[in-house]
Amino acid sequence: MIIAKGLTKEFISYQKRPGLLGSISSLYKREYTTKQAVNSFDLEIKKGEIIGLLGPNGAGKTTLMKMFTGIIVPSHGQLEVLGFKPFERHKEFRKKIALVMGQKSQLWWDIPALDSFLLLQKYYEVPQKQFKERLDYMAELLDVQRLLEVHVRKLSLGERMKMELMASLLHNPEVIFLDEPTIGLDLVAQEKIRQFVKDFQKEHQTTIILTSHYMADVSELCQRLVLIFEGQKAFDGAISEFENFLGNEKSITFHFEESINQRTPFDKFSPKWNPEFTQVELRMPIEGLRQDCIEILKNFPVTDFASDNVPIENVMKTLLNNPEILVGKNNH
Amino acid sequence: MVRIITNLQKWAQTLKICWSNLLTYRVNFLLQVLGPTFVFFFIKYNLWSTIFNHKSDIVIQGYHLPEMLEYHLWGLLISLWATGHNSMNLAEDIRLGRISNYLIYPFNFWEYHSANFLAFQVLQLGIGLITFTLFLYGDFYHQLSLIPFFKGLVYCQLVGIFWFGVQYMLGLMAFWLEETWILRVIFQMITSFLSGAVIPLEFYPKWLTQILDYTPFPYLGYYPIKIFMGDSHLMLKGIFALCLWMLPVFLLNRLIWKKGMRLYTAAGM
Repeated sequence: MIIAKGLTKEFISYQKRPGLLGSISSLYKREYTTKQAVNSFDLEIKKGEIIGLLGPNGAGKTTLMKMFTGIIVPSHGQLEVLGFKPFERHKEFRKKIALVMGQKSQLWWDIPALDSFLLLQKYYEVPQKQFKERLDYMAELLDVQRLLEVHVRKLSLGERMKMELMASLLHNPEVIFLDEPTIGLDLVAQEKIRQFVKDFQKEHQTTIILTSHYMADVSELCQRLVLIFEGQKAFDGAISEFENFLGNEKSITFHFEESINQRTPFDKFSPKWNPEFTQVELRMPIEGLRQDCIEILKNFPVTDFASDNVPIENVMKTLLNNPEILVGKNNH
Repeated sequence: MVRIITNLQKWAQTLKICWSNLLTYRVNFLLQVLGPTFVFFFIKYNLWSTIFNHKSDIVIQGYHLPEMLEYHLWGLLISLWATGHNSMNLAEDIRLGRISNYLIYPFNFWEYHSANFLAFQVLQLGIGLITFTLFLYGDFYHQLSLIPFFKGLVYCQLVGIFWFGVQYMLGLMAFWLEETWILRVIFQMITSFLSGAVIPLEFYPKWLTQILDYTPFPYLGYYPIKIFMGDSHLMLKGIFALCLWMLPVFLLNRLIWKKGMRLYTAAGM
């Protein structure tokens, strides 16, 4: 479905010194720098997979998405999506993909969403009957029937996002690229969008490539995770594998009867306390877990405790702060 | 055949969207309609009346005052029918990264903007006709007859297409420049002077008008005005010259688009 081999994208930009003098000197003399936004990236995605593309800001996620959708040209390497070379932007290729950008609207601002949908119906050559069925189905699922005829600029961010999703799914694409679809939305709206994407994917077996800063999006939707750091692939595997990425650690939460003053014994487990110091979340090595827990239960007024894998969010955070862990892993 | 029909449907639906977009901001729209007419009355009418000292028997370079006013009135109508379109949307689309949408839709960027131009042209045709009719109430038209009028209208559409080609090119400069309005203003100023829209070309030295014959400018202003005023024999030469100039403009647009796309980073997407 998607095959990338040695995919590389270089951006050339010029450096400008700050201030007016800098601006003037940049008129006649410019220093150019080449930045590799994506570097020798290999990836293979099969039909029906949902992939989460993760990485810090500027890691190259969006650049990858842009190359996959044919918006920008790769500098080197091979790329094939649905049997097409995206950058040739064959009309048949464009009919089979969709891109949703959380930060960019593809609907026309000054007209009702329904008008945009009607336009897209023509662009994608969707027969009237199917168009109506899909529209009704999605509008009901997302609960936006009464908003279809409201001007897009008058919709709230959450409502607009639902419309954006509908706009990109009306032609039933084979591959959907979701670039931070839930950014800026409240929790209820996030949940609604996630559920919708999940249902849609289940019904149509669509291939989905998702980037998001919200780990909930990724852990709920994706089976597979691809991590990108400084333009290179740092991890590619199942979510469960990723959760174990930091080695054999567990996340244990203790609740106490009263505020804890003597907190030093917890320090070795990277504790996260609540403001009242009546609850703590610890990362404890599996080796010696039993003994460590017994110690705590014995010495502190524990009322309750729970154990879980280290949440994917924490794995991500640790990796972002210590990228050398990844380098170590990759070398193994 | 089916292909053609589905394509026409795409264009038709795009035209509808463009019309509703154009008509959304009513005040904007109204100003666009009234602006040129005000300019005509406040500047051109007063200026030329003063120059001719309000006397209709004075002749300057072959023009009486009523003729001069008629010349400028046709100039005003041509600015509505042929040279009103600008590429602001286009440049903005590129600068703000909105062009990404058209790169993904199975309907091309140039198709969308051509449809936009077409929608604009149809609206302008109506606006021009209304303006034309309003001026019938004054004593402005002295050489009005049906055939030259229709010839002029047809010729204006050709000028419109050429104008769109150039505007499109200026808009594409947004791949390289932050702001393209300055280019548009420069082009507009140069065109107003060299096309005869500000001063009839008879006022210029002969050597200059001879040189101008080899540029596209006179065919954008002076020629259509004269065709409306009954000089039908200019029509063929004008059409020939415009078509000749259109070819490099559209070829260049293709080339610039290709170059620009290589450069495009879809910033802010």
